[in-house]
This record gives sequence, structure tokens and C-alpha cells, in this order.
Amino acid sequence: MKLEVRNITKKFDGNEVLHGVSFEVESGRALGLLGRNGAGKTTTIRIIMDVFRANSGEILLDGKKFEQKKHQIGYLPEERGLYPKKTVIEQLVYLGRIRGVSKAQATANAKKWLKRLEVSEYENRKLETLSKGNQQKVQLASTLVCDPEIVILDEPFSGLDPVNSRILQDVVKELIANNKIVIFSSHQMSYVEEFCEDIAIINKGDVVLSGDLDDIKRTFGENQLVLSATNYNLKELNEIISSKFATVATVTGVNKDELIIRLADGVTRNELLNRLIAQNVEIEHFETYKPSLNDIFVSQVGEENVDNTGKENA
Amino acid sequence: MKKFFIVFEYEFMNYLKNKSFVITTILISVIMGAAMFLPNIFDMSEMLGTGDSSDTEQTDDKKDENSEDTGEKDTMLIFDKSGAFVDMSLLESAFSDVKWEKAESADKLKEKVENEEVEAGFIVNSLTSYEYCVHNRNMSDYNTSLFESVLRTMNQMKYCQDNNINYQEIMTAFSPVIEGEVNVLGKDMADNYFYCYFLVIIVFMIIIFYGVMVATSVTQEKSNRSIEVLVTSVDTNSLFFGKVMAGTVAALVQVGIIMVSILGCYQLNRDAWGGALDMLFDIPVEVIVSFAFFGLGGLLFYTFIYGALGALVSKTEDINKASGGVQMIIMVVYFVMLFFLTEVDSIVIKVASFLPISSYSAMFARIAMGNVAIWEIVVSFVILVVSTILVGILGSKIYRMGTLRYGNPIKLSNALKSIKNKD
Repeated sequence: MKLEVRNITKKFDGNEVLHGVSFEVESGRALGLLGRNGAGKTTTIRIIMDVFRANSGEILLDGKKFEQKKHQIGYLPEERGLYPKKTVIEQLVYLGRIRGVSKAQATANAKKWLKRLEVSEYENRKLETLSKGNQQKVQLASTLVCDPEIVILDEPFSGLDPVNSRILQDVVKELIANNKIVIFSSHQMSYVEEFCEDIAIINKGDVVLSGDLDDIKRTFGENQLVLSATNYNLKELNEIISSKFATVATVTGVNKDELIIRLADGVTRNELLNRLIAQNVEIEHFETYKPSLNDIFVSQVGEENVDNTGKENA
Repeated sequence: MKKFFIVFEYEFMNYLKNKSFVITTILISVIMGAAMFLPNIFDMSEMLGTGDSSDTEQTDDKKDENSEDTGEKDTMLIFDKSGAFVDMSLLESAFSDVKWEKAESADKLKEKVENEEVEAGFIVNSLTSYEYCVHNRNMSDYNTSLFESVLRTMNQMKYCQDNNINYQEIMTAFSPVIEGEVNVLGKDMADNYFYCYFLVIIVFMIIIFYGVMVATSVTQEKSNRSIEVLVTSVDTNSLFFGKVMAGTVAALVQVGIIMVSILGCYQLNRDAWGGALDMLFDIPVEVIVSFAFFGLGGLLFYTFIYGALGALVSKTEDINKASGGVQMIIMVVYFVMLFFLTEVDSIVIKVASFLPISSYSAMFARIAMGNVAIWEIVVSFVILVVSTILVGILGSKIYRMGTLRYGNPIKLSNALKSIKNKD
């Protein structure tokens, strides 16, 4: 299956918040929807889920108009919410049944996912008596109780501790391995990087970058190197490159321990290496630059509000 | 349709599992049922006006004796300036529960009345003039009219005596015993009025109480944020209709259980009540059937509106603010109905019986007490059903529109605009 979002726009009270968002994702692959707060990720997801109607554009599944109610979709909304006064199992079975699963199957699925998410001991407890993290896991179980073909997770890792995040990561990997279409939005680049083959970065209502993550990384790293020296610190090395190597390379960034430099057109790595040695630079690191998703994200949407772990500062 | 039943079942079971719902149902049923046994525990015959005449006389005689012994009779004073009240028998027969005493003077009489030593007093200036003295006069004080009838009789007797006329003969001639028979060929309003009044109040209370209950259940899904999961899982019509219908059926179950308890216990104790509540409970089948259809239609009509209003707010405490307008309409209909219940063939009730906002009570009142053609009933019911379905569909659109609109209550006009613009 292939889900395509084509050129969707959305206005709220005359203010356009999505200006033609497009991306696509196939079964057995996960798409990471990235963007800063207010970029339009949740609005895009809500349009896919038919919570909002797009002003223009279309959503296709295998080339045909996507009718949400005709497919099993597991949706974890950004606004988490279930029935606090009801028992866990009761509401999971109900949510499975209203999505067309039989009562017996919904009960079996609910028990399976509660066990998988390590909260089966709470199945007969009222939701409100559970911790926030466990409520989040129950919410995830409710998303998966209908055995969905498409899974859409809006900020699934928010509110989870590292152990629970690990469980969720494993579940997402299983979903991908089971040939589901997985779309999820997150601020946490490390998670996206771990299991998303495709990404779409949305900035101020526009998709500024999308496609296969490996291809994107390759393109971003093309003709770039990382460099460090044992006899110069990064500042000194930066000055040397900027003053004496301006015709062959330019510094494009600074990592924690390395400079990122781009070779000028027609200049080979050996040429640069020879000139560095001639300049008495004792090479510590000299290798192809492989940008992290965080680097790519920052380069696309700006550095402010993004800390070095890839999480947005609220 | 299958999903509608799943939503309905879940929501309905929520009511049945709700402790306060169950406790309220049981408690009211038990209390009201127990109240029907009261005549077996206490002697309520006097309050109910039941018991046969011989029993009543016997009871009165006994009471008189007891009253005299214990001094339970109210004492009233009379100061007679006219000198006509030599014989007090007329007064005593007119005021059977009063012990009469003569006052020494008008001032003494007033003093005793003021100090509440006696119930009241009359200062008689002549057979055509008197003064009534009472400390606090209550709404049901008919002493003056009773006293005036005594004075009238005394005047008539005096006139007969002065003119040498036989008083008894005159009375027989002027006030002959007339035997009459009432044969109601249509409907007897006197018989039907009380249960109509009762049913108007019942349906009003059901709509107000359960309408708010349905609105609350809708709002709770916004306040606990579960609405987004729900509207993306099932079509809004199934969801909204399922919720509202579940609330309505829960209302009917609760009211039904309470009514069965009351009626069952009343039937068990009907003899003890002397049939005193028949005017409320012995309702003709055609009125019950019309009440069931129109009452249910009206209840659904308003619960759909309440459901939609519940979707306009995201906090349960805002429900009253959002539903103020519709509550006002229900109140106006209620008071109009009570005001015109004695004139069910008036134009006001006729118009009200066709409007979906009021036909739920106006039409069955007309059926019970007025002249109504079958076509009128059918047309009114069709209007009610169609309006209810339309309101249901509109309500479900409002519910869908209000899904992610949190914060301040949405104005109904804005909600309708949004639906029109398909936002």
C-alpha cells in the first residue's frame, strides 16, 4: 500500500497554515513527520484522519481517494484522552468494536497489546488510577487494538520514560516489520532516525524536505568532510582553513570535536590532505561527513528552539 | 447501523453501571412505592376525604366527644350588640368544628383575639352588619362567608316571623331538591384535568433533567479529550445518535421503574387510598398511548438539542450557559401549557400542538380533553418525527464541528456558520 498526501492546504479563519503539503509513505516503511511547534504536523495528521477537512489537495491510498472509515487506522492523537472512569479493558474493547472488530477479537487484541506493553496487570483498573506513563501505554494499546493497516502516531514518545520509550520503539519496529504503514511525528530526532526510512520536514506549513532519509543524508554529506587536528583546537583550525585554504574548502559547521568542511568544486580529498600536511596540521580525523538528522533538521528549520539532543525547547 | 448499536450499548451500559443512577432509581422507587403504603399505616381518610358517610358521622361524633373532652375545638367569640343571637344553634351547626362563647365587650373580644386566646371573633352590630376580628388571616379562611350565610338565614327567619309566614314552607318552595344527571358524551375535563396536569409536569421534568444528563455525557468526551479518538473511529451520526438514544432510553428505564413501583404499590393499596389517586393514575389507554408517542418524540427532540449544545462547550460547568436558551423555551412551553390547560381547544394550544417544541405536551392534552381530529394527530406526530430527525442530523454535525474546539463555549450561530462553510 502507498499513502500519498498531495498538495494539501488548510486555512483557519482565513489564515493559511498549510501551503501545499505533500509526501508519501509505503507499507513496511515509517515516515517521520518533523517540524517545530506550530509547523503544521498535527494539522496535517488531523487532515489525514479526516478530523479537519483540507481546503485543497488530496490524500490517496494506492492511487485512489483515501476514505478513512473504510480502513483500519490506528491513531494516537496529540491530545491524549480516554475514559478516566472506565476500566482499561472495557474501553479498549469498546474502541476496538467501534472500529469494526468483533468483541472476542477486540478482547484478545486488547489483552495482547496490554501484555506487550507490560500493563496487563492494570486491565481491570480504572484508567484514572494509572500513572501518566501507563495511561499513555493504554492509549497506545487503544491505537493498536483494531489491528490497523495504517498507524499514525502524533508525538508518541512524549511523556514516556526511557524504559517505556524503549518498549514503544520496539513496538514501532514490529509494526514496520509487519508491513504496516507508520507515520509519526516527533521532536526526538534519535527515534525518527532509528526507524524511519522516510522523513518529511514541515516548516511554517511547507514541506521543506522530504524523501528517503539515507538519500537525504547522502546528499547533505556530499563533498563534505569532518576534520580535527591534534596540534590545533577547533578555533585555530577554523582560522587556518578560512585564511589559508579558502580556495579549496570552506567551513560549513562545527561539531563538538570536529569541523565540517566543504570541498570547493574540482578539489579532491587528497589535494586538501596534502595541503594540510604541508601546513603542518597533524590530522586526527579526516573522513566523509555523515550528517545526523538533527543537523539536517536544524539546517532546514533554523537553530533556535532546538537543543543539541534534538528536542525542542518548549 | 451496527456501530450505532455498539455505541448505544456502551453508553447505555454506562448509565446502568453508574452508581448514582442506580442508587437514585432504587431510592426514588422505594420511597415513592413506600408512600403508597401510607394509608395502611396512618389514618389518612380525613385528608383523602375517603370512608363512607356513616363512618364519617361516627368519626365526627366521636371526634366531637373527644374534642369537648380535650378542648380541641377552636374557640370563637361573639359579641352581639343586636341581641339576635340568643339561640346559638344556627351558628354551631354552620361552624361544626367551633366552640362558641359570648364576649363581654367588643374590646375584650379583640384583646382575646389579639392574644390568640381564641381563633377569631365576630362583633355583631345588627343582623346586616358585623365586624370580623382575626389575628392572622390565612388563605383558606371562609369564616366570614359562613357567618354571612348564618346572618342571611336569621334575616329570612326574622322576616317570616314578622310577617307571619311559614319559613319552612318558603324554603321548600324556594329551594326545592333538584335531581340532575350529567351525561358526558365527549370528554369530561373535570376527570381528565388532573392526570393531564400530572403528565405535563412529568414530561417537563424528564426533558429538563435527562436533557442535561445527555449534554453532560457529550461534554465529558470533550473534557477528557476522548472525542478525537471517537470521531476518527466511527461515523459521527452513529456516535451522536447512539449517545443520545442511550441517554433517552436510560431516562425511560429510570422513569419506567419509578412509575411501575408507584403504580404497582398504588394498585396494592388502592382500597386503602379509596381510589383517591385514580384521577392521577387511572389514565385512559388512548391518552397513555398518545403521551408515550408524543412524550418520547419530545424527549428525543430536546435530548438531540441538548446533545448538540453539549458539544459546544468543553467543560461540564458551561453546559447551563450553553443550554440557557433551550431551557427558556421549555419553561415557556411548560407555563403556557399549565395556563391554557383548562382551554385545550383554544388557538394557543392548537398552534402549540403542531409545533415540535411544544406538541409533546399540547397534543396529548388535546387528545385527553379537547376536540382533535385524527389527521391533526397524525400531522402533528409527523412534524415532530421529521423535526426530531432533522435536529438529530444537525446535532451530529454540530457535535462533529465542535470536536476540537476547546476553550470558550462556541456560540450556536457560529457553529451553524461553520457547518454551512464546511470548516
